[in-house]
Amino acid sequence: MTNGVIEISALVKDHVSPFLQKRVRVLDGLTLTVQQGQTFGLLGPNGAGKTTTIKLSLGLLKPTAGEVKVLDCPAGSKTALSRIGFLPENPYFYSYLTGWEFLDFFGQLFNLSTNQRKERAKELLEMVSLTDAAHKPIHKFSKGMLQRLGIAQCLINEPDVLFLDEPNSGLDPIGRKDIRNILLKLKQAGKTIFLNSHLLPDVNELCDQIGVLHKGKLIAGGKVASICPSGNYKDLEQFFFDVISSCDKQSQPKISSSS
Amino acid sequence: MHSTLTAIALNTFRETIRDRILYAFVLFAFLVTLLGLVLGSISVGQDIRILEDLGLFIISTIGGIIAVFVGTSLVYKEIDKRTIYLIFTKPISRWQFVVGKFLGLALCILSITFLMGVFLLGIIALFTTSTHHFAAMIASIGFIYLELLFVIALATFFSTFATPLMSVLFTIGLWLIAHVGDSLLLFGKISTNKAITIFCQIIYYALPDLAQLTRLRGHIMAHQLISTESILYLSIYIVGYLVILLTLATFITEQREFQ
Ligand SMILES: Nc1ncnc2c1ncn2[C@@H]1O[C@H](COP(=O)(O)OP(=O)(O)OP(=O)(O)O)[C@@H](O)[C@H]1O
Ligand SMILES: [Mg+2]
Repeated sequence: MTNGVIEISALVKDHVSPFLQKRVRVLDGLTLTVQQGQTFGLLGPNGAGKTTTIKLSLGLLKPTAGEVKVLDCPAGSKTALSRIGFLPENPYFYSYLTGWEFLDFFGQLFNLSTNQRKERAKELLEMVSLTDAAHKPIHKFSKGMLQRLGIAQCLINEPDVLFLDEPNSGLDPIGRKDIRNILLKLKQAGKTIFLNSHLLPDVNELCDQIGVLHKGKLIAGGKVASICPSGNYKDLEQFFFDVISSCDKQSQPKISSSS
Repeated sequence: MHSTLTAIALNTFRETIRDRILYAFVLFAFLVTLLGLVLGSISVGQDIRILEDLGLFIISTIGGIIAVFVGTSLVYKEIDKRTIYLIFTKPISRWQFVVGKFLGLALCILSITFLMGVFLLGIIALFTTSTHHFAAMIASIGFIYLELLFVIALATFFSTFATPLMSVLFTIGLWLIAHVGDSLLLFGKISTNKAITIFCQIIYYALPDLAQLTRLRGHIMAHQLISTESILYLSIYIVGYLVILLTLATFITEQREFQ
């Protein structure tokens, strides 16, 4: 079997509180592989550890145990990062820059030439329909515009691998559809995509493969096509509820605490 | 590598120079200098020297205030607004980030010092056309800038791990102590307590002896001849501290995780 583009093996992450040195296990032995060209959706309730997984894959956090490899390089290495695009959760930007300056700045961090940056920025702003707002300062952007700019930003280096943390949250139905179409295009272009999302219909449409993370553990997963509609579930939502509730039942067998 | 550093420096410069509070400070500096003009014209015969001293004092104070307050919030803001996620997931080194931030602010302070300096020289020109005066003023302003570079590096260093308030206190505290380091050393020498002697020595060598700069400026303003060696020595001496501070800041940033 070939190596996956994203290889997460036995990943453990503890958060240690600075004063009391109290340890909280956020990820508990996560193992998963995303193959070249696949779109992988990581699902899970709030606080399950999805964002943490992405941060570990990018080297923003360091694992307590286990490892992540992206494109056969250690997470966070420059070689890997130069071929990765990342959209953070609720992206924040430099509010004093205009959209165009912002893209230009990130293009510089990838050592793109002035001409390349100009071309890419123009192309990307058009792709996310922000051409008219290109020279507006970012603090005047609406949430949806920020999310679009975030998408444009993560494509500036023509990455092979994308990490998207809730790319479709906070958007109106039109915005959501636009983003979905952009992602579909990227998928058709053969990019490997790793995304976190709570919007299951979008995941259903976009993803080949999903995993369900709950309390830091991967409790279910598989090919979307084999889960629904051909599988035992009506839709992903039903699947999601089922695996979470059956997992919770197992972990608290008899005692029902009232706290 | 080169383009990344420039990009971060210029972006920082843009961020700081677009901050309106800066102009309030500069305006304030202009007003106080004009006030000095009025006061100076009252004390007949002394006017130029008073004006010069007051002007230089204002430049170093206003420059210092801006360096402290902007410098301490530079890195903190990136973490707080989570733009750091976007930066550190690009193929850049942490030293490029730290040094870029430093250079950006250094450029901003340079522009402000230049602006205030030109204003001051313009006023001086109303009273004298002696080139000695101008040469002395320009040299003094140069040494003020050298000192401000140290303040910026100190502020940048603290901002990599402390909250802005703590950084401001530490930076101002150490800046002041660096001015009286030589007195402390003397005090330690005459003290009979061994611990105090050692403590004073540690402080003296840990911080640059800024009193040397003040003395040099005094000589310059008194129109005494200054040897090239002493200028070179002091410059290298301060730059040495800049390198140490930025290296430490880089090291801390490399160890840090970004939640
Ligand atoms: N700095 C931190 N210190 C301690 N615990 C943390 C820290 N950051 C995150 N956590 C904990 O880690 C867990 C996982 O957080 P994470 O952000 O990965 O969740 P998530 O799956 O992305 O949730 P959401 O769907 O709400 O975005 C949470 O329980 C959170 O409280
Ligand atoms: Mg999250």
